[in-house]
Amino acid sequence: MQRRSFISSLIASAAALASTGSLAERSQPSLRFLRPPAALAEDDFLSHCIHCGQCGEICPNRCINFFTLENGLSSLGTPYILPREKSCILCMKCGDVCPTGAIKKVVREAKAIIDNVKMGHARVNKSLCLSYQGKTCGVCYRACPLQDVAIYVGMLEQPHVTDKCVGCGLCERSCIQMPQAIRIIPNYG
Amino acid sequence: MKSSSPSQPYFLWCHLNKLRWLSLIIVFLMLIILPFFYLYQTYAASFAYDLLAPSEKQLYDVVETLTSPFTNDPVRDLDAIKGTTWSGTFWGLKLSDPLAVVAQSAASLSVYWPFFLTALIPIILTLIFGRFFCGWICPATLLYELNSNLAVWLHRLGFKLGNRTFDRRFKYLVLFTGLVLSSISGVVLIAGMYPPAIIGRELFYGIALSGFGVGMVFFVGTLLFDLLVSRRGFCRYLCPGGALYSLLGRFRIFRIRRIVESCNDCAKCNAVCEFGLDPLRDHFGQECNNCTACIAVCPTDAMTFTIQLTDYPEQGAGHLGRQYRRENSEEDK
Repeated sequence: MQRRSFISSLIASAAALASTGSLAERSQPSLRFLRPPAALAEDDFLSHCIHCGQCGEICPNRCINFFTLENGLSSLGTPYILPREKSCILCMKCGDVCPTGAIKKVVREAKAIIDNVKMGHARVNKSLCLSYQGKTCGVCYRACPLQDVAIYVGMLEQPHVTDKCVGCGLCERSCIQMPQAIRIIPNYG
Repeated sequence: MKSSSPSQPYFLWCHLNKLRWLSLIIVFLMLIILPFFYLYQTYAASFAYDLLAPSEKQLYDVVETLTSPFTNDPVRDLDAIKGTTWSGTFWGLKLSDPLAVVAQSAASLSVYWPFFLTALIPIILTLIFGRFFCGWICPATLLYELNSNLAVWLHRLGFKLGNRTFDRRFKYLVLFTGLVLSSISGVVLIAGMYPPAIIGRELFYGIALSGFGVGMVFFVGTLLFDLLVSRRGFCRYLCPGGALYSLLGRFRIFRIRRIVESCNDCAKCNAVCEFGLDPLRDHFGQECNNCTACIAVCPTDAMTFTIQLTDYPEQGAGHLGRQYRRENSEEDK
C-alpha cells in the first residue's frame, strides 16, 4: 500500500469513527451526573476548568471521574460524579486543590457546606421507596451527612428531603432498592 | 583571528544533555508513580485492606514500603505532590503551565489572578531560559525524542519515512486559532490538543481510573505524524505551547552560541537538532529550547552557552573547516 493512500485511509477511518461517535451521542439519553462540590455554574465551570485532573487525584473516595466524549466535546476531560456508583463524601479537598477556582474553596463545616454546596437535590420516588411501601428502611437517612438538617424521617422512617440538601448523593449510593428510590436531581447552577 | 585562542565551553556543559534526559525521565516517572500513590491513598483512606483484591493488596504493600519512611499519615502527607506538568501542587505551591493561564483567560474572558500567579515562576524561567520546558520537562518530549530515535532505526532498516518541512510559523496560527476557539466556545479547548497536558491526564486515567481516553488517540496520532510525515513535526509546526514559549523566550538571556574559532563545519549540530534549527550558521532564534544536544554532539567543543539577549550574527564558516582555510589561503596569496 502506498504511504499516501495509507494516510488518507487513516484519516477517512478517523473521520468515520468521529461521526459514529457523534451519532451514538445523539441517540443516547443525556447523562445524569454531578459536578464536584461547590463547582461554579456549568458555563462558568467549563470556562474555568483547565482539565488538569487534580480534583480527581486528590479525591480520597475515588468518586470524581473524567469525561472523555460521552458528554460532548465541551466536557472533554472535565470532572463528574455518578452518585449511584460512588458519591461525594464532602471532604472539600477538590476545592482546595483546584488552581482556577472552577471548584470553590469551602471549609469543611456543616454551615459552610450547606451555604455553598449545591450539587443537586435528592428526590424520593415514593412508589419505589420501601418505607413508603410499609417496610421500615431508613438507610438513606442514616447515610446522610446532614441528618435531620437535609433529610428527616417520619412514620415508618419515611424520608423527607428539605431545602438544605446539598446533593452529595450518599443517600442514592446507599439506597437498597434496585433501581434506587432516592435520586439526586443535578443542579448545574 | 590567529591572535586569540578559541575559548572553551565549560567542561560540564557537554554532559548537560544527559542531565536533560534524566530530568525528562524523572518527570515521566513521577507522572506514572503519582497515580499509584493516589490508588494507595484511596485504599488507605477506606481502611479496608482485608477487602482488597490480591493485586490491590500487592500494590498497597509496595507503595507502603516505598512511602512509609517519608510519611506518617499517607492519606494526608501524600497530598503534597499532586497534578501534572499542566498544573500541579508541590507542598502547597501551585504551579501551572503559562498556556493554561492564557487559555483559561481566553475561555472566561477574564483573568483570575490567583491562577495567574501560579504560572509566574514558569514564565520567569521561560524569559530567562527560553523554551526550556519543551526540552527539559515536557513529558511528551521524552516520547517524541524516543520516537525520533525509532525513526532513525527504521530508516537504517530500510523503511521510507517522510521528512517534510513546513513553515514553523504555523504553530503560532494554531495557538491563535485555539485561543479564539476557546473564547468563542467558552471551553479551554487547548487542553485537549496540547500533548504534555494530554499525557499527564491520560496516564492518570489509564492507571487510576477506567483506562485511556480519547486523548491517547490524539497523542498516538501525533506520534505517527512525527514518524511518517515530518520528524518532530508536532513540536516544530503545530504545538500551541511551543508557540507560546517561543514568544516568551524571544529575548531569553541564556543562549547557545557557536565558537567560530573551533568549529570545523561538520554539521553534526544541524543533524542532531530536534527542532530543525541551523546551529552551524548561528540561526538559533526563538525556537531553540536549550536542549544542549548540539553541545553534546560537537566533536570540537565549539558550542557553548552565552548570556546575551540576541543571537550572535552570522559568523561565517568555522575556522577549522575546509571552506575557511581555502578562503584564507587565497587571501594570503
